[in-house]
Amino acid sequence: MRIDHAAGMSTLVLFSLCAAMAQPATPRIVSAANAFLATLDQKQRQSIQFAFDDDKQRVRWSNLPVRMVPRAGLSIGELTAAQRSAAMALVSSALSRRGFEKVRQIVDADETLKHNEGNNPMFGEDLYYISILGTPSEKDPWMFQFGGHHLALNITMAGERGVLTPTLTGAQPALYTVNGKTVRPLGQESDKALALLNALDETQKKQAILSFRLADLVLGPGQDGKTIQPEGLKASSMNDRQRTMLLDVMSEWTSIVHESAAAERMAELKAEINETWFAWSGPTTANPGSNIAAYYRIQGPHVVIEYAPQRLGGDPTMHVHTMYRDPTNDYGRKFTAK
Amino acid sequence: MKTTLAAAAIFVLTATPALAHRLDEYLEATLVSIEKTRVQAQVTLTPGVAVYPIVLADIDTNADGVISETEQRAYAGRVLRDLSLTIDGRPLKLQLLSWQYPAMEEMKDGVGEIRIEFGADLPFGGATRSLNFENHHQSRIAAYQVNCLVPRDPSIRIVAQTRNYLQSLYQLEYEQAGVPSSLLFWASWPGDHIWLGAVALLLFARFALLWRHRGQVAFPPRS
Repeated sequence: MRIDHAAGMSTLVLFSLCAAMAQPATPRIVSAANAFLATLDQKQRQSIQFAFDDDKQRVRWSNLPVRMVPRAGLSIGELTAAQRSAAMALVSSALSRRGFEKVRQIVDADETLKHNEGNNPMFGEDLYYISILGTPSEKDPWMFQFGGHHLALNITMAGERGVLTPTLTGAQPALYTVNGKTVRPLGQESDKALALLNALDETQKKQAILSFRLADLVLGPGQDGKTIQPEGLKASSMNDRQRTMLLDVMSEWTSIVHESAAAERMAELKAEINETWFAWSGPTTANPGSNIAAYYRIQGPHVVIEYAPQRLGGDPTMHVHTMYRDPTNDYGRKFTAK
Repeated sequence: MKTTLAAAAIFVLTATPALAHRLDEYLEATLVSIEKTRVQAQVTLTPGVAVYPIVLADIDTNADGVISETEQRAYAGRVLRDLSLTIDGRPLKLQLLSWQYPAMEEMKDGVGEIRIEFGADLPFGGATRSLNFENHHQSRIAAYQVNCLVPRDPSIRIVAQTRNYLQSLYQLEYEQAGVPSSLLFWASWPGDHIWLGAVALLLFARFALLWRHRGQVAFPPRS
């Protein structure tokens, strides 16, 4: 029942997405936002809309379930079927096809967790919130947020620019099956990083692998605006193939957002790849088809990516948190500063 | 008392499925910020559900179920006593700057973060410095993390960070440009030796003056 519902919604949204993809990104996203707002009544609109300079709302996101860290806006569970479709169409309009699929899989993982935990009301797809800061516009800055347990998309729009940082992704279970098919929402993040580690020579590995344990994200929720000293192996000490692999790992986060914004972001990160660091802590192997149990961090002048498996009393390969930041431009501040 | 707490912790651990919150660890994450004359740090402490009773007993010392202002300050002080900082081998006196506590319910759920800020003045030092940080707070249940923020002062350059596996021991080596050479000279003299050096310098100056005077007598200007 759940999977049918999810698949139905995904198909509907993907259909609208394909039709809309021909449009340039900003008008498409603004149009989707206005279409969604048009489905809401006045009370709902008041709940979902915040001033663009509402910094309390801007930072109201977390990896934790909404029962533990309450979000504001409207939850998917509060919406009618039509409103729900319009909300998901807004989310998909700002993301790439793969990005939206990843989001969908993270939400499905939480739905799976709900069922695995005896229908625990703390989890599930109804508990993801959407909010809009400012007024959707093709010129003026505004942003929207979509998130809940293991998901925090903060998408700032400033004219043609689309900024995805800070964004948190995660999954629990990080591996599950749907109709006999194995799903790993963050599987590529795990596999590509391990492949990069294995492509390093022994000297490079010595630099990349940190000799200490990392229990959690360093720059997770609540750590906006901080830049830590980078560690590990600098990409200037990598060969071209390894640098390409490093960029490919990063693309798992940069390409969540729609294609044109992702291309611009990748060009920025590629230009400063030699100033980018790769650090690893934990086991250097993984069972085939499973996620790594190791923490890793990629840090450059305009990017911090962390992948942090969570022990939390269980199997760390089954519970992952990741963080994607641009310490110089989180929430698109570079483009929205007055 | 200890037995009761341990039993409570084990009960919570076994009774709680592998859910979304921290469980059997006390995450103690420190971010260090370095300036030329000051070091500041923030420790964020997040007790897991299973170890919450142990942490709470350390905070709510009168066990009345309420964390009073006095208990908040006292616990922050106890945390500070379990930390140590040295610069170039010399111990620093830590000053408690602020503390913030979450609601007890949040801590009970394994999501509450206690934030404690502390700092210390740094004595003048050389161009290359070594800061050592140790955290031994609740070592049986702790998961330590420590990192240095990129210094705001561009004349300070982090050279190396080293830690033990548990991150309870941390060493930060850094360089600072633009330190006057006189400071470099005096900084290498520990404590009261600076005064001995100053006296020696004065005596040397006096001796040089006398020598010059003697030279003037021995070699009178030619007519």
